[in-house]
Amino acid sequence: MAERQKAERGVEEKKVAVHGAATVRFEHRHGETRLATLYHHDPLRVLLPTPRRDDLPIAVLATTSGGMVGGDRMDIDLSVGPGARALVTTQAAEKVYRSTGADCRIDTRVAVEPGGWLEWLPQEAIVFEGSRLRRLTRLELSGDARLIAGEMLVFGRAAFGETVTRGLIRDAWEVTRDGRLVWADALHLDEDVGEALNHPAGFAGAGACATLLHAAPDAAARLDAVRALADSLDQQARVGATAFDGLLVIRILGGDARAVRRAYAALWSGLRAEAAELPTRLPRLWEV
Amino acid sequence: MGEGLEAAGLSTHAMTRLLAWLSPSFPVGGFSYSHGIEAAVERGLVRDRATLIVWLDGILRHGAGRTDGALFLAIHRAVRAGDEAAFAWAVERADAMRASSETALESRAQGTAFLLAIRAAWPLDGLARWDKVLTATGRPPAYSVAVALVSALIGVAEGPALTACLHAFAANLVSAGVRLVPLGQTDGQRALAALDPITHAAAVAALSTPLEDLGGRALAVDWTSMIHETQYTRLFRS
Repeated sequence: MAERQKAERGVEEKKVAVHGAATVRFEHRHGETRLATLYHHDPLRVLLPTPRRDDLPIAVLATTSGGMVGGDRMDIDLSVGPGARALVTTQAAEKVYRSTGADCRIDTRVAVEPGGWLEWLPQEAIVFEGSRLRRLTRLELSGDARLIAGEMLVFGRAAFGETVTRGLIRDAWEVTRDGRLVWADALHLDEDVGEALNHPAGFAGAGACATLLHAAPDAAARLDAVRALADSLDQQARVGATAFDGLLVIRILGGDARAVRRAYAALWSGLRAEAAELPTRLPRLWEV
Repeated sequence: MGEGLEAAGLSTHAMTRLLAWLSPSFPVGGFSYSHGIEAAVERGLVRDRATLIVWLDGILRHGAGRTDGALFLAIHRAVRAGDEAAFAWAVERADAMRASSETALESRAQGTAFLLAIRAAWPLDGLARWDKVLTATGRPPAYSVAVALVSALIGVAEGPALTACLHAFAANLVSAGVRLVPLGQTDGQRALAALDPITHAAAVAALSTPLEDLGGRALAVDWTSMIHETQYTRLFRS
């Protein structure tokens, strides 16, 4: 932990990079969704809190290292089998500290099989000045599989007067259905990161952003409801939505991190109710 | 590769064809797309010549100019190398990278119309081979894919070809801005002149960007292209 605090202060990095891994698979058996596979390797842990009444089985990923520094890797593999329904989130925000050179990598695969439903909603990643992060989230859908997945990025801790002016922040998505690439997207910030964050056509000074995806054969049918919900929010963040090829894409651009988080949580809970008749409610971890 | 932007050895035959294909009169319907500028004007983000220049600077260096530039080079290099797998990969990626349904329409409709006009009016050696690969992908060609393909086939080096394509893109958006803000024709030309070095800078940046860094960061532009979908009064399709 002391090493992490040094890294946070930008003094030096710890010497040995870590490589965490987690595999979680749910399957539908005997009339209900049950955990089928569980594997984790430090600093990643998987917690399995008791689900709320009338809500889905839940898995929570936790990192025990206190944040990522240059060279760290995490491999996350989440899946639900045919007809299974589950939700996976993370225990806390992921902090990505300054790197002297090496990139951090987070590779996440989310696979949903026919008739399945999965929500993958990690809490925000907070990138610090000089951090280097390459994140790829690959969503693999089969048949009529459905999901909601999201990511939220926060640039420094504004409450501490921190900003990000340099480093590498890459956040990429790939969505396939039955092996066909439906959507590819990559936010890529490098070199003079501050210039792009301040540019009116770039981030326009926003300190946070988020992407929320809903994949389903009828995803476009939720577009009007999502737009109505977005219009009802406090308007402190810019929210846009679009749909194509069985995919609904929602973008949120701050404002501050709290405004983005509020919009993200409201849209997620509204979308799960609208699309899957699930409670308009977030896991307890999100109620802060 | 490594030729930079210098157009050494550009034949006049290649030059006149490129001028024809990238001119506003080439029938791709460019006049009907604003790349979200119509929404940016509605929201007051683009309101005069200065703000139009800044907005287009962002599109060129941080948005479509960056992503399409990288894919343009991937296509151009694949065609020059005769690498059909690399060509198919870039066609697929260009089709799948969509900021919104309207910018996807903007790029695919113009790319498809571009190749239709080439096939109908400008017989081109070697096009049939790549048409076959394109058909096999089952994907419509993005505009940058179509222009990269034909400019590689007529032997225009990647640097000049990309710069010309980015210039045509910028000129079309300036034209949209002139109609939407609105601006006078002279102010439009002043904006385009101011964007000329930026177009070159965007091309130079693309030439030194590895394909693994493919992506953009013009989130405000992406947002305008999304909210344009529900804009009440609209002249443009994007």
